[in-house]
Amino acid sequence: MDLRDREFWMVILSGLALGTLGVLLAVWGNPANSGICVSCFIENSAGALGLHNNPRMQYLRPELIGFLLGSVASAVIGREFKSRGGSAPLLRLISGIFLIIGCAVFIGCPIKLLLRLTAGDLTAVAGVAGLVSGVWIGLKMAVNGVELGPQQSERSGGGLLMPLLFLLLLAFFITRPDFINFSTKGSGAEAAPWLLALGAGLLLGALAQRSQFCITGSIRDLFLVGLRSYLPWGLGIFMVSALIAGAVSGRLNLGLYGQPGAHLDHLWSFLGMMLVGWVSILIGGCPFRQLVKAGEGNTDAGLVVVGMFIGGAVSQSWGIAATAAGVSLYGKAAVLIGLAFMLAISLLLRRREG
Amino acid sequence: MKIDAFDKLLWILLSVVLIALALLLWQGSHRSGASGKSVSDRAMERELTYQARVALVQKLYGPVEELRSKGELQSALLKLDELARLYPGEAHGYILQAEILQQLGLIETALTNYVAGIRLDGDYIDKKSPLSRREEISRFVAEAERSIGSRAAANPSNRTLAVARKDLNYLKSRLAGGCE
Repeated sequence: MDLRDREFWMVILSGLALGTLGVLLAVWGNPANSGICVSCFIENSAGALGLHNNPRMQYLRPELIGFLLGSVASAVIGREFKSRGGSAPLLRLISGIFLIIGCAVFIGCPIKLLLRLTAGDLTAVAGVAGLVSGVWIGLKMAVNGVELGPQQSERSGGGLLMPLLFLLLLAFFITRPDFINFSTKGSGAEAAPWLLALGAGLLLGALAQRSQFCITGSIRDLFLVGLRSYLPWGLGIFMVSALIAGAVSGRLNLGLYGQPGAHLDHLWSFLGMMLVGWVSILIGGCPFRQLVKAGEGNTDAGLVVVGMFIGGAVSQSWGIAATAAGVSLYGKAAVLIGLAFMLAISLLLRRREG
Repeated sequence: MKIDAFDKLLWILLSVVLIALALLLWQGSHRSGASGKSVSDRAMERELTYQARVALVQKLYGPVEELRSKGELQSALLKLDELARLYPGEAHGYILQAEILQQLGLIETALTNYVAGIRLDGDYIDKKSPLSRREEISRFVAEAERSIGSRAAANPSNRTLAVARKDLNYLKSRLAGGCE
């Protein structure tokens, strides 16, 4: 660790901002423990676009738009915007679907997992164990030759499509055309003031683009190089800042029962997050990182984002998403199908020696 | 990058299409008052549908409320049974049944009914909904916690109490908020 290295401080700043804003956005109006939750935001936004009809989960979350557009701005300023892709696109799209299914069964993305944990929600412990296991499995697979193959630089400028799509979503959010749905009740109606939410999203997207900070990436680096990598330090700062912000705002509630947006099906929390960790390693980042990469012109990540929207829609429409009552049969089946999918593509993709 | 005549043609066509799109949207936004539905219309429509549902529910279950206010709780439960056969998926019936059972001191059965009602319609724990029973349910949860919590701790192998404990946790979790 080199304290004079600008990259180190950028990672620390990213962790600090993510932890603090993750709590503050909930204080400002987002659902409890969901100040930042990429999977919840995707499910809300899919509903807003009419991709599912749960009237309590429809809101075009400005944070989500901000993550990607903030990344675009940072990548353009840093001259890092570059169209590239072509690495197993269909597999990535389907992986994006399973990424959100795993999150929906746990009720939250890896960022929310840690926000829940630092808010005292002990049901998140099973999710943490699952996520760490998933990352470990993903690494073992990579060591044994399972990978999606190299990307190529694209002349077509396809990397501009996701930024343009998200600009269109921003225009939809501001002008609110008839076909965009906005919940008037339920968690979809709970939202921080939109300018604050968009500003937070832009800031976090830009910081994450600069620092390449990502929850699963941090765990991966911890396994691979320990604390010599900067990312685990960012993860630590993220958790400490969320803990402090939670304590200061009076949102700390240590316990296993009666936690907001949580259930007690620990095995399925574990398996859901295991799927998320495993998929994230294969495709190179958690849901948040995929948005940031899509903002850098990475069309493969863009396809994962499209898959995540499909995943958000089916999670709600098909009753896959868990609730406080627990995980439905469809949710359990979807996680197992996701794990079977990962095993099958590992068999098919594996590069064998000799 | 060298721009040839064909590129120029494509740029011109792209500009024409974009200008046409802008004009179309501009014209559409001015006409929407006459022909299309604005966001406020949709919001109003949704609100009216919701208010109509609230009014229907209150009308349908009015006789039950009347019997309940007279203290005829058994008759109210019989009436609810009758309505449940006619409208089996209606959450309001479960909520009313839960309230009556709570009055009768049947905490565990009341709990089951509250859970069934809220799982069907989360409006009953929303702060802003006209159907909201959030305060009442919060008080009930505190009462049930005292009644069930100690008994469940003393009898960990009792299946019924374990189910009640699970239902109670569900209600607490829903009252705590978070994503659904």
